[in-house]
Amino acid sequence: MFKEMQSLANAQMTDASPHKVAGFYPYADNGGTLAAIAGDGFVVIGGDTRLTTGYQIYSREASKLTKLTDKTIIGSCGCWCDSLTFTKGLHIRLQYYLYENNKPISTNATAQLVSNMLYQKRFFPYYVSTIVAGLDADNQGAVYSYDPVGSTERHRYRAQGTAGSLIQPFLDCVLGRGNQTAPEPEKLTKEQAMIYLKDAFMSAAEREIGCGDFLQIMIVTPQGVEEERFKLRKD
Amino acid sequence: MSSALLPPFPEPGFSFENVERNVSLVKKGFKPPKFTSTGTTVAAAIFDGGIIIGTDKRASAGTIVANKNTNKIHKISNNIAFGGAGTAADCDQMEKMVRAHVELHRLNSGKQVPVCVALTKITQHLFRYQGHIQCALIVGGVDKFGYHLHHVYPHGSSSEVLFEAMGSGSLAAISHLELNYKQNMNLDEAKLLIRNAILAGVENDLASGNGIDLCIITPSGMEHLVDYEIPVAFV
Amino acid sequence: MSNSYPVNTGSSVIGLCFDDGVVIAADTLVSYGKMARFFDCSRLYKVNQTTIAGCGGDYADYQFLHNLIEQKQIDREANEQGVDLSPRALHSWLTRVQYNRRSKFEPLWTSWVVGGIDEGKPFLGFVDKLGTAYKDSIIATGFGTYMAVPVMRKFYDDKNGRITRDEAIGLMKKCIGLLFARDCSAHNMYEIAVVDANGAEILGPLRATHDWSNVKEHRTS
Repeated sequence: MFKEMQSLANAQMTDASPHKVAGFYPYADNGGTLAAIAGDGFVVIGGDTRLTTGYQIYSREASKLTKLTDKTIIGSCGCWCDSLTFTKGLHIRLQYYLYENNKPISTNATAQLVSNMLYQKRFFPYYVSTIVAGLDADNQGAVYSYDPVGSTERHRYRAQGTAGSLIQPFLDCVLGRGNQTAPEPEKLTKEQAMIYLKDAFMSAAEREIGCGDFLQIMIVTPQGVEEERFKLRKD
Repeated sequence: MSSALLPPFPEPGFSFENVERNVSLVKKGFKPPKFTSTGTTVAAAIFDGGIIIGTDKRASAGTIVANKNTNKIHKISNNIAFGGAGTAADCDQMEKMVRAHVELHRLNSGKQVPVCVALTKITQHLFRYQGHIQCALIVGGVDKFGYHLHHVYPHGSSSEVLFEAMGSGSLAAISHLELNYKQNMNLDEAKLLIRNAILAGVENDLASGNGIDLCIITPSGMEHLVDYEIPVAFV
Repeated sequence: MSNSYPVNTGSSVIGLCFDDGVVIAADTLVSYGKMARFFDCSRLYKVNQTTIAGCGGDYADYQFLHNLIEQKQIDREANEQGVDLSPRALHSWLTRVQYNRRSKFEPLWTSWVVGGIDEGKPFLGFVDKLGTAYKDSIIATGFGTYMAVPVMRKFYDDKNGRITRDEAIGLMKKCIGLLFARDCSAHNMYEIAVVDANGAEILGPLRATHDWSNVKEHRTS
């Protein structure tokens, strides 16, 4: 299948075609940015709602976040058809888990399942950036990030997607505080995490053309999931 | 005119000394750096009292906003200006060259320089460089022959028009112009028309944004309205 | 492998939600490369009284999917006693079919606009040959995404999202006229599909008009 894909992707023009069309390519880049911050007893995850193709905006209100359980959220962006298919497949797996075990799946188990499902398509990957955010067994915030083929790691905070390379250094500065001599700030609160998330997306929308329209935030606490929307630049 | 101590002045005009090297580097897989592109929406129209040109204010390098306050309206003389799309450096240099040419023409003839002089200089220069100077322009002006608006493509073709749009946002802008342009509009109608055409590009084209500049050329002179409008959604 | 490029193709489809329904419009031209080949091919499909769809891209692939959808609707009428295929169900089904075919490297080279009334509310969705899908109140395919979408978005904003059926139909006519003027693979014969609480209908074939005087005036001056 891999060889097949390569040769097709490289196919330039088909002689039989009456059009000047390039050969079929099964992937698209539909943009999107995700970021998540974990804390003591909460996790917040944000994603912009702009869906793009090239320099076009398909939709200003396409949600990239999906609530999986009362404790776990998944964010997925990149090749949108892969994102849709992946989250749909994940939903089905979680339903099976629920029926077989008679309890909702934990965040840690979801995180492992996502990695396995991504790696299963190692040679025809889902071209997606993924973040799983949730509360672990001790109600501590957990953020897991993935590459398209399932390489994963748990973080305190993480940004992915089109503007991921703009947001990650900002979070490293205010949350990671690597190589900084200023005294450690007080313990991160949910409110402060929300402010960082909004600041990060506002800044990203200023400089990254694929990021904008709205920021959708999901806030997970032991009490459940809350949702918030925040306006970003429209242009 | 050179020695070991005194290096020679470079020859006038472009230097081509690295062309072959660069071609072979690209062939071997080297990715050349991205130039700052205007990634523009430019729109212009003839109205009752003269010419109106509008542009957005964004310059981009790939998917990053390189400049949020770009001037894309280039003044040639008191009666001629162009709105430029394409590589920012090419448009700036084109302005410099044509302005000098037109000014010399004015000093030699002692008369106001007609628009066709600037247009001919631009198209001949662009044709000579076979599309490698990446300027897509709308040249507008007022002279003793009347009001003139021309669009110019990077390969040096041009034609006279009543209204036109250029740049990556041109399709969004032209759709507004096509539906709403009327002949013999007054200044206020023309301002609104061009403002809305640029706004269509700003909202719908990712490479356009950050505000609107207008330039109005009438027989009594030129008025350059910098930051004519920055809609609330884009602040 | 047999069909990884389009042959006979339709151009843009445009769609819009209004207050209590949905309109979708497309011209009736099917082109063979740059040749205007078939002038009277409907690309809009009334699935039932609640669901309509429009399709751009390869016309053979459209006809293939048309037959599948038609059979789905017949099965439902026969087996489930009048349960209509809802626009949301059709949109979801098309997304899966398109994604499966793209994953087999045998894409159905089409872009769909699916509209209708879903649980009493207007529904409008998009699906393309990869299985990229989204829902929005303004959707276009092909060249329409560049030219018709900005016009529709502005109209929508000016009216604060409140649009009557007549206004929506008027806007479709305007946009088709615009595409006829500026898209060289578009045509002036077109149809409009409308669906609201009273049912679905396809209007046309209609003929788009365009005012060319701004071109003529200039040529003679």
